[in-house]
Amino acid sequence: MLFSSITFLYYFLPCVLIFYLISPKKLRNTVLLISSLVFYAWGEPGYVLLMAAGIMNGYISGMLTEKFRGRAASKAVLAVSSAVSIGMLAYFKYADFFIENFNAATGLSVPLLKIALPVGISFYTFQILSYVIDVYRGEAKAQRNPINLACYVSLFPQLIAGPIVRYSDIAQQLEQRTHTSEKTAEGIRRFILGLAKKVLIANALGELCGIYSESDEKSIVFSWMYAAAYSLQVYFDFSGYSDMAIGLGKLFGFDFMENFNYPYISKSITEFWRRWHISLGTWFRDYVYIPLGGNRVSKLRWLGNIFVVWLLTGFWHGAAWNFIIWGLYFAVFLVIEKLFLLEYLKKSKILSHIYVLFAVIISFVIFGASDINSAAECIRDMLGFGDIPLISAEQSYYLRSFGIILIIAVIGATEFPKKLVSGFEKTRYGKTVTAIAEPVFLGMLLLVSTAYLVDGSFNPFLYFRF
Amino acid sequence: MNGKNRNIIVIAVMAVLLFGMSLWSWMKGADEYSESERRILADFPGITADSVESGAFMQDFESYAMDQFPLRDKFRGLKSFSELSVFRKLDNNGLYPEDGYISKTEYPLNEEMLDYAAERFRYIYDNYLSDKDMNIYFSIVPDKNYYTAPETERLSLDYSAMIEKMREKTEYMAYIDITELLEKEDYYRTDTHWRQEKIIDIAEKLASEMGAVLESEYTVNELDNPFYGVYCGQLALLVEPDTIRYLTSETLEQCRVTSWSTGTEEESVLYNMEKAFGKDPYEMFLSGSEPLLTIENPNADTERELIIFRDSFASSLAPLLADGYSKITLVDIRYVRSSMLGNFIEFGNQDVLFLYSTLLLNNSMAMK
Repeated sequence: MLFSSITFLYYFLPCVLIFYLISPKKLRNTVLLISSLVFYAWGEPGYVLLMAAGIMNGYISGMLTEKFRGRAASKAVLAVSSAVSIGMLAYFKYADFFIENFNAATGLSVPLLKIALPVGISFYTFQILSYVIDVYRGEAKAQRNPINLACYVSLFPQLIAGPIVRYSDIAQQLEQRTHTSEKTAEGIRRFILGLAKKVLIANALGELCGIYSESDEKSIVFSWMYAAAYSLQVYFDFSGYSDMAIGLGKLFGFDFMENFNYPYISKSITEFWRRWHISLGTWFRDYVYIPLGGNRVSKLRWLGNIFVVWLLTGFWHGAAWNFIIWGLYFAVFLVIEKLFLLEYLKKSKILSHIYVLFAVIISFVIFGASDINSAAECIRDMLGFGDIPLISAEQSYYLRSFGIILIIAVIGATEFPKKLVSGFEKTRYGKTVTAIAEPVFLGMLLLVSTAYLVDGSFNPFLYFRF
Repeated sequence: MNGKNRNIIVIAVMAVLLFGMSLWSWMKGADEYSESERRILADFPGITADSVESGAFMQDFESYAMDQFPLRDKFRGLKSFSELSVFRKLDNNGLYPEDGYISKTEYPLNEEMLDYAAERFRYIYDNYLSDKDMNIYFSIVPDKNYYTAPETERLSLDYSAMIEKMREKTEYMAYIDITELLEKEDYYRTDTHWRQEKIIDIAEKLASEMGAVLESEYTVNELDNPFYGVYCGQLALLVEPDTIRYLTSETLEQCRVTSWSTGTEEESVLYNMEKAFGKDPYEMFLSGSEPLLTIENPNADTERELIIFRDSFASSLAPLLADGYSKITLVDIRYVRSSMLGNFIEFGNQDVLFLYSTLLLNNSMAMK
């Protein structure tokens, strides 16, 4: 089920909220668990059992890891549990990728498995891994209540597209959490803004990207328009989803970590990745980079660690070479920055912004391409080497038609709107005006987003495939 | 206002909206048909173990939830307004209002569809016409966007390329160009079609090119029913309705119309007043979608007959050609297989006119 659907907004969510609010506190996790299973089964009825198997693996492993703590058996349990989790991910997400490449390398024709990718498997697998590792490290106690653990793994607000919530961050909240008017109102604000980011902006940009992809007639401006629109679409789609997830979490008393912090205002790629998909970056830092030794090793090994992490980061996003290249592409920038470039970037804000935007936009061309060749073609066209016109009449139409949404998206990707509102609130009547305008504005956003959903028939999230 | 009160107002407003719309959705009875979109709406899907396991129930429920949402047309209108007036998009789902006229950006040219249409025409020619002494004509009716797009810098088909390609592929027909005779005012503001009272010159041009003579004087009649055309419903914005006017004459009053829509011969009418007050008032012209019908003119000064292979644009035009022929046969190969035509029509020395709109040629997959 999608957050941005009539079914979720007006059928599922109100029912869950009512059941949650009328339930005694000790049953609230059970209500959330049942709701989450319905939510998941709505889109993937067959894969509920797979998720349940993953949860069981986590539950048993957590108990055993704790029981054998300090002994070799604890490490063995962790190894087996991790192998099971990673094995599930490898089988369901990467099997065909490995077979295809094996066939290409050997000339054999091993048949593909053609397994449908279980929605959210990358997210909930990482959460199960995080739980077992946290228990192994002693950073969290094993969860004895299977409902609480199942609730953590399957919690519908963050089940299918994150943020990836670390068990140690949420363990306390699973047992006891507070509900205040402040938290609830903040949850509503985040959810509605996220919904609008997804429905009104990301989907419109997606329409433009779709036009580009289907068009045989390319031009330099059109290629740039696509690259910029796609970069913004991914941001508004994913950060909108994260806002909705964080907002829903607050409605149910949870505080999830932030996942985005205006990444497009970054002045280096290092900073960009501190602001983009923060929960994934944090996960790889804590569970891969630091265990590999981080930067407290020889320079060569340190650089190697960076490449390993970014190879995995790229591969996590999808079972295709363009994702691997995308990850390694960032590894190259990060290494160069760490070795010497960061010092230079501090000298000019404008140039450093241009550098980041150019590098990131190119990266998303690689990310969004169906294969390496089409990514290369698009980049070639953007750089003017494609023997194509500057712009055609058709593309000029699209530029005019999507011009306002592109401008809104660019401004919305910066801190400007937030600063504008907080600046206005500091004026004499600012607080009163915004207090009155806010519910009207949020109500309008909900109604307009609903209008778009009613008018549309298909509304997929980009990050579903991850 | 302190922070707590502010939060409570936010929660209250959003709770009223969310739970209010939710309750309305649950309580509201299902509508069967959307007048504005002219389609059947999804009903609540049946639940079976198989449909749940396969996910079919969930998919159908999503369609049901969207189709049956309260104030659906108002919400669609809000979306149109937002797209066109707030985000300043140049079209909403391909439609755009300009100067009171709603047009559709039919785009781009679909070469495969043109090839398919030409192949269907060739089939008819090879099987029924080529060995007869028949004069065969072809004319393309431009859609409204032909006239509104250049004024407003919207996207439009490459009409020259379309006409050139169709002429090349139908070299056995004489092409009659009517584009110069039309302007946007000749179309309904809210609908795809042209206005009958504005196309007398088109009928005269076609007749003249085919060597027929039209002499009727027409009386313009006005339908006492606001006409909200198909674009109006699709755009879902409040616009002033059109008025349907239809032409009558002494000749037309004597004409006998016969329909074969049920497979057997049935008497029909030029102007169907039941349909004039139905879901799509344009269907008053020759009763709308008909696979095969004839208009016989008992007072004709000639024995000449005409066969028109056509789409809905011909429904309002064909009566205006009745004066020049003793019998006009209208064939819509979207509703009758071309291979079956020999069973219904005796091809001999009739004139033949292929009269198709750019809209259908560019989306010809329905031709059989």
